[in-house]
Amino acid sequence: MAFKTLGCRLNQYETDALVTDFSQAGYELVDYNESPDVVIVNTCTVTNQSDHKSRSVISQAARKAKNAVVVVTGCMANNFKEKLESQENITFVVENSRKSSILTLVDAHFSGEIAHPDQLPQDVFRYEPVRKSLHTRSAVKIQDGCDNFCTFCIIPMVRGNAVSRPVADVLESIRKTVDNGFKEIVITGVNIGRYSDGDTRFEDLLAQILEVPGDFRVRISSLEPDGFGPDFVKLFAHPKLMPHLHLCLQSGSDKTLLRMRRMYDVEQFRKTVTQFRAVYTDFNFTTDIIVGFPGETEEEFGQTLEAIKEFNFSHIHTFKYSVRKGTRAERLENHLPEKVKTERSLQIRDLSVENKIDYFNSFIGKTQDVLVEKVAHGVASGYGEHYIPVRFKLTGAQKNAIHKVRLLERKGDDENCYLLGEVIL
Amino acid sequence: MMTLMRHDQQMDESFYKILEIRHLTGNAFSIKLPKARFAFKAGQHISLGIVGGNQSREYSIYSGENEENLEVLIKEVQNGYFTPQLRRLKIGRMLEIHGPFGKFGMEREKAEKGKFVFIASGTGIAPFRSIIRTYPNIDYTLIHGVKTLEEAYDSHEYEKGRYVLCTSREKTGDYHGRLTGYLKTCTFAPDTQFDLCGNSEMIFDALEILKGKGFSRDQIHCEVYF
Repeated sequence: MAFKTLGCRLNQYETDALVTDFSQAGYELVDYNESPDVVIVNTCTVTNQSDHKSRSVISQAARKAKNAVVVVTGCMANNFKEKLESQENITFVVENSRKSSILTLVDAHFSGEIAHPDQLPQDVFRYEPVRKSLHTRSAVKIQDGCDNFCTFCIIPMVRGNAVSRPVADVLESIRKTVDNGFKEIVITGVNIGRYSDGDTRFEDLLAQILEVPGDFRVRISSLEPDGFGPDFVKLFAHPKLMPHLHLCLQSGSDKTLLRMRRMYDVEQFRKTVTQFRAVYTDFNFTTDIIVGFPGETEEEFGQTLEAIKEFNFSHIHTFKYSVRKGTRAERLENHLPEKVKTERSLQIRDLSVENKIDYFNSFIGKTQDVLVEKVAHGVASGYGEHYIPVRFKLTGAQKNAIHKVRLLERKGDDENCYLLGEVIL
Repeated sequence: MMTLMRHDQQMDESFYKILEIRHLTGNAFSIKLPKARFAFKAGQHISLGIVGGNQSREYSIYSGENEENLEVLIKEVQNGYFTPQLRRLKIGRMLEIHGPFGKFGMEREKAEKGKFVFIASGTGIAPFRSIIRTYPNIDYTLIHGVKTLEEAYDSHEYEKGRYVLCTSREKTGDYHGRLTGYLKTCTFAPDTQFDLCGNSEMIFDALEILKGKGFSRDQIHCEVYF
């Protein structure tokens, strides 16, 4: 069987968990060029481009694996359920809430039972801890859904209301994932800052996760810049918690943020960044920016450029705004021409590369603990604590090992640049 | 062996029959539904769809937490898609409700001890009516910005002296002009909490005025309405 995954880390985690499920059930994982009997496409629908990519992957999968069972799941399966169900090249369309039970569906199909995805149980946290992953680090899902209703976002419609996984389940999943040999765990969800289980908020849960025994480190996947308190900053003094946050700014203009119905303003974002950098001077912030949001003026876009310079994001995921049907932004006035969005997007990308180069340069001469993700031709590559990509030569290097590396020089002048180092331990 | 489970049918939990429609102006109306089958906090909103339709919209709850009816305030958007359909609905039709959502509003303890200024434009008054009906002893001033007097929805319900009507197109309110113009003339106690609900332009301007008066952003809470 084969998997294809598009979109966010949460999708990636859910695929990894499904890989574990299918592997334990005796299915062999192959590339989808190798005529698999089952192809699972875990789709994304966050932008028009995501829809396009998802459609293209579904068609490719169905074409390459002609007689295979094609299962389409993920956010696009929720957003375009009926349309996808009417396609002859798709066997099953499984909504996000039933995704964790796809093995049951596929098993039933091969047993000759008449099964329908809508008969599967709904549980967004039913996933087993990842055992066999397509990646070195494993995510652990603590939350799903979102109630923020940002005007541009389709996610509340396709992922549903915000729900939090019980604390005990999260901690058990962390323990099992560590026992399964993972050295780095990524805490993930749709809007994890809004985690709430009884009196336990996000930072309380994080504090408990950090106290789970074992040799592992913790990263936080993308986070909204609201919903956490001052204790959150202090937690990063813990050696297990990595000094990097992907904090989604989306725009540097308060007017645009209000039209987006974001829950913070630039000053509040500034306060958070300042609090962190006052304690951890080289803390790494990366972000998401939407360019060309309806009504975004030159002045407002200029404010975004200024914010990017000020906050010194080392990487920016730039999204050209695209209409999502059913969202409030679809009904806003002054939608911008594609040409303007493209021009603005390029400006952001240029700035992102400049920032990245400056940030990476500031680490030359320092050391990082690098988790090896890949080894090729005697060169190991992986990420340091600050989520900087690092490469180094090491005879007999192994994946999933952590090495202390002195950073010597930057290689490359574009967004794929990295630091070259040497092992010192 | 696959366990064939019954399809999760919880739809009845989301369906509400329209009990009453109150026409408040030529294009604004409220819809009264049976008592909410979910616990909500005054200030929260719900998603509302017409059964058989394919779209939904979010509306702040207009009624108090413990009232016999769940009520929403709606203004028909000229040439809009959804609100004209809502307006044509008759008593007895079913609506599909999801929620409640949102963090706008306050805890009971805070509501009973704090001093509040509520700033609303148009139907942005909805969450404040819910809050005031939930906490009848709350210490508040409600500044409501509208175009004309007829948009002072249910203004007779508010305690005399606590409701300030700002009318921008006629001199029928307590203040003639935009609410932001009125806000500039006001003085507030330093510990005042501000809650703003309305369109993004009003909220942006009001935020600037309040910050200019020295209030911290942490004292100002916003709910953007479209």
